[in-house]
Amino acid sequence: MLLVSSKFADEKVMIDDSSPESTARIHVVFDKGELVSAEPPSTVVFAGGG
Amino acid sequence: MQMMRVSRRVLLGSLCVIFLLAGGGKASNRSEKLKPEEQKVVDYLVNDWGKDYSVTSVDIAMDALKVKQSDEARFRIGSYIKAHPELHEVIRRWGWVTLVLTPDEKLIARALINRERDGKPSPGIAEIADSVSIKEDQVRRGLAMLERYEILKKDKSAGGAGYKVVPRYIKWEPRLDFLFHKVTLASGRQFNTN
Repeated sequence: MLLVSSKFADEKVMIDDSSPESTARIHVVFDKGELVSAEPPSTVVFAGGG
Repeated sequence: MQMMRVSRRVLLGSLCVIFLLAGGGKASNRSEKLKPEEQKVVDYLVNDWGKDYSVTSVDIAMDALKVKQSDEARFRIGSYIKAHPELHEVIRRWGWVTLVLTPDEKLIARALINRERDGKPSPGIAEIADSVSIKEDQVRRGLAMLERYEILKKDKSAGGAGYKVVPRYIKWEPRLDFLFHKVTLASGRQFNTN
């Protein structure tokens, strides 16, 4: 997420991941730092920080 | 006295030969284990690791170099990385498992490990295939690879697919092990991050 909002903030970035609670695959697409899509729809994306 | 000097020279000479042979043996072992294109994969990874928080895995490096993927080649490269933590800090920090297994193999491992941790029956081939979204043949290949890396061991009493998890992997940090975060950029560059 740090890379998506900094070094690759002007790019399209796809991330293939998985749920730590199961074996479900997660596919997330960002474009210019913004979330474009997340599969499955139940994916929870935490953005920001403090 | 003369005899002692000669013996000492012979001894020193012998030690030098032994050291040279030992050094030569190490170098030849290193080259014997990997084919030239496999060595290129290791070189690619050593150069890539750490850049943009990269913990790139063997399969991604093989794709990047257009090296033909095979379980055998991946195992040879992976075993080399496992045996050579001195190659890069990333191996020592994140562990060879993170770097040598494919996402499918990591998910298969988790399917078995999570069940065993939770004290539930071990899943069968079809169930693993369904939960990881791959074909049964891919599950069998993945299980075989995990067994070769001594993460799983065959055990008829295990039920399900017939494998038990080697205890040290049960004790890993639950829900944080066998993870992958694969990044694909529009340019086509792929790498794993931590």
